[in-house]
Amino acid sequence: MGDRRRRRRLAAAATVAGLMFGTAACGSGSDSAGSSDPNTLEVWTRSNPDSAATYDRVFAAFTRKTGIKIDYQPVINFDQQLQSRASTKDLPDVMINDTALMGSYQSQGLLKPIDPASIAGGDQISDKSWTSTVGVDGKHYGIPYSRQAQTLMIRTDWLKKLGLKAPTTWQEMLSVAKAFATGDPDGDGKADTYGIVAPASAQNGYAAWWGASFLWQGGAQIIKPAGYGTYTPAMDSAAAVGAVTWMKDNLFCGRKGIVQPGAITAVTGTATNFQDGNAGMYMTGPYNITTFDATPGKDKYEVVPAPAGPAGGDVLADGENVYLGARTGKDEQELALAAFLVSPEGQKIAMTSVDGHQPVVRIPVNSTLDAAKVRNDARWSVVQKAYETASQQFPNAPDFAPIKQDTADALNSIFTYCGGDVRSQLKELNDTLAGDLKDQDLLK
Amino acid sequence: MTATVPAPAARRDLDETAAGKRAFDKKAVVPWLFLAPGLLLALVFKFWPMAKGIWLSFFDVRPFLGDRWIGLDNYTRVLTDHRFQDAIGHTLILGLGQAVGAIVLGFALALLLEGQARSLKILRTAVFLPAVTATAVVGELWRLMYYPTSDGLINSGLHFFGFGTVQFLDNPNIALYSTMAMGIWIWAPYNMVIFLAGLAGVDRSLYEAAAMDGVSLWQRLRYVTLPAIRPALMIVLTLATIRGLRVFTEVYVLTGGGPAGSTDVWMTRAYTLGFTRNDIGGASAASVVLLCVTLLLTVMVNHLRKRGEAR
Repeated sequence: MGDRRRRRRLAAAATVAGLMFGTAACGSGSDSAGSSDPNTLEVWTRSNPDSAATYDRVFAAFTRKTGIKIDYQPVINFDQQLQSRASTKDLPDVMINDTALMGSYQSQGLLKPIDPASIAGGDQISDKSWTSTVGVDGKHYGIPYSRQAQTLMIRTDWLKKLGLKAPTTWQEMLSVAKAFATGDPDGDGKADTYGIVAPASAQNGYAAWWGASFLWQGGAQIIKPAGYGTYTPAMDSAAAVGAVTWMKDNLFCGRKGIVQPGAITAVTGTATNFQDGNAGMYMTGPYNITTFDATPGKDKYEVVPAPAGPAGGDVLADGENVYLGARTGKDEQELALAAFLVSPEGQKIAMTSVDGHQPVVRIPVNSTLDAAKVRNDARWSVVQKAYETASQQFPNAPDFAPIKQDTADALNSIFTYCGGDVRSQLKELNDTLAGDLKDQDLLK
Repeated sequence: MTATVPAPAARRDLDETAAGKRAFDKKAVVPWLFLAPGLLLALVFKFWPMAKGIWLSFFDVRPFLGDRWIGLDNYTRVLTDHRFQDAIGHTLILGLGQAVGAIVLGFALALLLEGQARSLKILRTAVFLPAVTATAVVGELWRLMYYPTSDGLINSGLHFFGFGTVQFLDNPNIALYSTMAMGIWIWAPYNMVIFLAGLAGVDRSLYEAAAMDGVSLWQRLRYVTLPAIRPALMIVLTLATIRGLRVFTEVYVLTGGGPAGSTDVWMTRAYTLGFTRNDIGGASAASVVLLCVTLLLTVMVNHLRKRGEAR
């Protein structure tokens, strides 16, 4: 009896050990199958499975054309995984990620400097796009890949029902938001509709990301260049106080229903009220167009320029760059991939949706292409015009990650505590931003 | 001649020692062989990263530019940061509340669901489900339940009884307690199982004797049940303490540390520092501080347990 029990225990222990080894093997098996092969590039993008399907088509076309294989890894928690890989000094060969992270990566020494002249077809990329890849030392650390600017998505059926027009100013936007919240635009007889979708959580800096367009439109800046690669914080300006006060008083602390319930703890993943059909306006990036065409439906909403504030209608522009990992030793293949990605062919494949998958290039960086023509969709010209004529980007030469996070923390706090004094809270934020710049030796 | 006399004894001694050694070797090696895979995995995936984390906490970490030794600067920075100081308070409130709540509820569930009946088995399985569901999934469900209008499950219940809408997650004064309620809901069934195992070992004759003495329910709990399940209670307390201090997923999924940092706990701050601000040295220092506090509390709980047993 005892022997049998012992034998069972031994068998169980052996099974568990085997399972553990099996699991460990599964966990490590997928990584860089051909990382040592000079003709295979390991490429990472910050993508979910949906947009990864589009990248698969892009890389397949590149391999067909050049014979260079791609070991492609779509990574959702990109920054966490990249930091892990950086700690082992084994970076992916090529990475495609947000423009605003360039300063952060460059300050950690993760990126290879790039000579724009070495990219075939690099002269077809606009100066505006190339300027945004210059680091604090004046060198380029990224190749522009995709650009976008925020626009206002608005429910046309709701506007029609309430006899309203798409707003062009902050005041008009507020009036429309109030009407959406109180006028029962969905006609169900319940007060269950909201004006504006706001992902205003501080998590991952969302409050600063979403609120940036309002700051530009109010004439504010978070930090501003002060010459010779230095910056000064600018969130204590009268314009910043005015813009933040307007947002606080009208959107978060004013009449109920102007923004969706739970806005101050919402991130983009949980601020789904526009596609859920209970909020009427959402100032966001054009990547949502594919999603919104499914719900609420292409015929239910339109894409219009963002309403202008007292200082104009500038919106937040961002996008993705191609980054080359430091010390990978595959320069020729990496430059070939970069050239393909920014070529008209590469950009067109990435701009089109197959089987409803999300396109990964929004506004093309290749100036020979027109977003609206490639997609045969006039709405994209609204986005392209906003990017070209009325947009600003986060400064990407400094490490903007701590600056964005501190700004988001402060904005989220201001929007949460309605009784607070905006001026003194922004003064406090300004001091924190000065500390961030000082840590990077960039404070004037 | 004399030399031959002690020889057999010496040889016998040697033989005995060798035999003993062989037996010892065999006994000692086999368990280690079976433990080896686990230990190896723990070494590679647990102890080595832990040691590396402690090492990195003394550096300004820049993998490609060369790490810079900065001594205790990361610790000073973390411990003097007012947001980390706030996070300590939140962690203690959340950890303590969650631990006590989950223990009390777990114990109550164990008392209610103790027994052999088939229906009880089904009920116990149903009650245990939150403990085996991914915390991220539970968090999303609770976000829906806490939805701050009458469309939310809990608010619709409150409306039914004539109460107003409660901003469970968006009111900075109650967001931490809303998170705590979810934590209690997740961990109480886990504690319940341990308590059930403890209750199974209670000598039934003590209950019968107590019944004959005509004691009240409270007295029976106080003088029979609780002393009998003290080992289970100590295990649950130790686990709850560790879990309470390293709470992360519940907060990250439910509130992301907001609103206005009112639910920020030690781990969410360390995460933000490491992965949003790319300050790996600072995040390592914060994690080491948490490790030390956890170790200290675990040792204290163990010490109290041993002292209790000695009595």
